[in-house]
Amino acid sequence: MIALENLREKLGVAEPWVESRGTHWLNPGAATVRELAQAMNAAGARFVTITAYELPGDEGFRLEYHWDLQGLLLGVPFQIAGKSPESAKIDSIYDLSEAADWIEREVHEGFAIDFTGREYEPLMLRPGDKPGVNLRVAPAPDEPASGLQGQKEVAK
Amino acid sequence: MSYKIPMGPYHPGLEEPYKLDMICEGETVVDAELNIGFNFRGIEHLAETRNYVQVIALMERVCGICSFIHTLTLCQAMEKLTGLEAPPRAQYIRVVMAELERLHSHVLWAGIAAKLMGFKTMFMTCFALREKVMDVLQAISGNRVNYSMNHVGGVNRDIEDPIALVPMIDELEREMMRTVIPIFTTSSTARSRCAGIGVLTREKAISCAVVGPTARASGIAQDLRRDAPYAAYAEMKFEVPVEQAGDVRARLFVRALEIIESCNILRQALAKMAPGEISSAGEKLVFATGTATSRVEAPRGEVMYSVTWKENSRNPARVHVRTPTFANMPAVRWMVRGARLADTPLIQASIDPCYSCTDR
Repeated sequence: MIALENLREKLGVAEPWVESRGTHWLNPGAATVRELAQAMNAAGARFVTITAYELPGDEGFRLEYHWDLQGLLLGVPFQIAGKSPESAKIDSIYDLSEAADWIEREVHEGFAIDFTGREYEPLMLRPGDKPGVNLRVAPAPDEPASGLQGQKEVAK
Repeated sequence: MSYKIPMGPYHPGLEEPYKLDMICEGETVVDAELNIGFNFRGIEHLAETRNYVQVIALMERVCGICSFIHTLTLCQAMEKLTGLEAPPRAQYIRVVMAELERLHSHVLWAGIAAKLMGFKTMFMTCFALREKVMDVLQAISGNRVNYSMNHVGGVNRDIEDPIALVPMIDELEREMMRTVIPIFTTSSTARSRCAGIGVLTREKAISCAVVGPTARASGIAQDLRRDAPYAAYAEMKFEVPVEQAGDVRARLFVRALEIIESCNILRQALAKMAPGEISSAGEKLVFATGTATSRVEAPRGEVMYSVTWKENSRNPARVHVRTPTFANMPAVRWMVRGARLADTPLIQASIDPCYSCTDR
């Protein structure tokens, strides 16, 4: 618990950690996702995953970043305002946490969210070249290559 | 001069479909690129279209090897949303099933590793042993692969005479101790194919946040059964095997020792199994609005589910699954660097990859 309080102080967050249904949650306030990743690295926390949620209407997305600290699951939510390609962006933490590489790519592909400051290798979980058609309610306007054709392209 | 060798997505050296492009100089791999997604089924999206009964059957099909683990993790998350808690006997049955699944997975992996080492007789021995584990699973659940054991608030089948299963566990352990473990740990074939091969250093393992036996073979002592106990694990006494070398042999050792620990846990769970009900679920489940997470130590490492529900809905609003191979597989790139090309099938197999899970 001391480690959790140290983390909160380091991030300059006033609100306390809240335990809810298996996760210790922290409202990051003004702290950025990169500051959070740096603090987690310094605390020796293990990156677990990012869970993305599409919010109703034009509210955008919520990304929940998870780390494990001494067996405790930590969760820190970040809001992304808007769903357009110009607004659906958040800083990448790939350079700070190598383990975030694949999940950033997966969220990018599933929700068309851009993790700025990184490049993407070819798509992982869906053939073709149009991100954002797997999990978003409103699919991307252009249909991707069909499954078989797309798989052939990746397999080349 | 370097050249690229594509392996997969369908290749005799790979057990499941994915693609490993290896950049080689002579016989030495200098870098590798990984492509996954050849099994992509969109299960997370499908889950949003299934009700709370159907979603369990769906998530059981995320993985054919650790199907019990997936439903356990899902049901634990759903139990947090409904306020239900599985009765003590159900918690013990969950431990028994989870450890049998670990045995079944580790012995299956040992067989595949033996085959990739060119040790075909060992492959046959391992698969014969795996049959015995599956016989026990079938005796308990009625099924050999997808066991349909979990529901929200408990399990579907009781183990009526737990002590009767102990001789089967004893026999399994004797066979493991007599054949599989000594051969894997002492034979020159296994040593020459595994020692110093596919090294993942502790620093790199931390950086990649690998999980399960892959992490423990690189000197990271993490195991959710001990660090964040679930089901009845808090009442079990067991060791967490850790090796320091980070090579294929260390991953082999960790799994071999985990087989013994699983037998140990199984005997404890069967002996201590509390009497009573196996379910606390009522007629209809009422879900609270919000998100619940659950983590379980699967045979390959940590599985995590985030389940979100809206009140009065029959379907989940979101189910996110983080599987262990999804965390472990990127580290293969570092394991194969500097390796001989001929060792790469064994190196990638040493993390016990599961693409059914990874692709979902």
